[in-house]
Amino acid sequence: MAQALYVLYEAASGYALFEAHALDEIGQNAGAIQDSVSDLSRFGKVVSLTAFKPFASAADALDQCNAISEGVLTNDLQHFLELNLPKVKSGKKAKFSLGIAEPKLGSQIFETLNIPCQSNDFVLEFLRGIRLHFRRFIKDLKEGDLEKAQLGLSHSYSRAKVKFNVNRVDNMII
Amino acid sequence: GGRGMKGGSKVIVEPHRHEGVFIAKAKEDALVTKNLVPGESVYGEKRISVENEDGVKVEYRVWNPFRSKLAAAVLGGVDNIWIKPGSHVLYLGAASGTTVSHVSDVVGPTGIVYAVEFSHRSGRDLVNMAKKRTNVIPIIEDARYPQRYRMLVNMVDVIFADVAQPDQARIVALNAHNFLKNGGHFVISIKANCIDSTVPAEAVFAQEVKKLQQEQFKPSEQVTLEPFERDHACVVGGYRMPKKQKAAAA
Repeated sequence: MAQALYVLYEAASGYALFEAHALDEIGQNAGAIQDSVSDLSRFGKVVSLTAFKPFASAADALDQCNAISEGVLTNDLQHFLELNLPKVKSGKKAKFSLGIAEPKLGSQIFETLNIPCQSNDFVLEFLRGIRLHFRRFIKDLKEGDLEKAQLGLSHSYSRAKVKFNVNRVDNMII
Repeated sequence: GGRGMKGGSKVIVEPHRHEGVFIAKAKEDALVTKNLVPGESVYGEKRISVENEDGVKVEYRVWNPFRSKLAAAVLGGVDNIWIKPGSHVLYLGAASGTTVSHVSDVVGPTGIVYAVEFSHRSGRDLVNMAKKRTNVIPIIEDARYPQRYRMLVNMVDVIFADVAQPDQARIVALNAHNFLKNGGHFVISIKANCIDSTVPAEAVFAQEVKKLQQEQFKPSEQVTLEPFERDHACVVGGYRMPKKQKAAAA
């Protein structure tokens, strides 16, 4: 039997963990997932939601977004993974792996939590499907909620980047 | 900005062949979009107010093809821009947001424009513009690293790119692999001498089209942006297009 695969998805509103199914049938064939992605009734058989943790506040979301952007493992993400993934006994090899969008964060998770991570085209196809259907997996998320979270987070993220004073409109000095 | 075309001549606004784009017919015709934020210009462009059949005033903003490659492509006769009311668009190379503001008008309140720009100087204008246009999600990041903004973007229907970088095809491909739906579309403005100034523009365009084909893109048309831009082309096509059913093939 194929080893279990979980997938971490970072959304503007929180962290989500999915479990991939039917890996024996899919094998490591990215094309097989690709075919199932467009149709939720088919994709819902390929992955299921294991856990979702919404961010506590806008400030918290910005901290997490900055860390994810730089490939840094935050305490919150670490706790989320420890709580929701099967335990790995020290000195033993995990019986599962974690699919992740970006390898730098993956190597930190492996160093800190001893959870083997993979970032490849196979995982990317799962992430594309989750990105397409995300709202439908999270019951409390209403239509438009995710976009509102993205809008708020993008403004705070981008304003910090251009070093805007958050409280007033800056004037350009020429 | 002043209100051009006001006074003497009567202006009639008609829908363009591309949904969400309009033509203002006066002494001279102008390409316009329906202003999402009536009463405000974004970059000093002219506004035109007309009364519709019900006597309600509707405001449009003039879309200058010398300042916007997408407008130049529309006037150049491109068959389909794929950007229409309700579309979700990932816009790479948003600059100060002048064209982004027109795309925001076109997609309207039910659409979304994820606008990515790396330069902090233009990024400030972009962020300010987005404050009043809530269908624009401003992202100040390097489009070469889509992983950095993966928390901010959903799957989109269309990627528009005007990044003027030698590795533009690769940048668009990386973003498409992460964010463009199967069967979605791309619209790319290619500036020949940004990619290779030693060969003729036509050769550069052909070379870029070839690169795109290797990344699951299917270019379907190419228009030149003359007379508005020199040695520019706009290439449009699909991504991961559904395979045609092979009739009775093994």
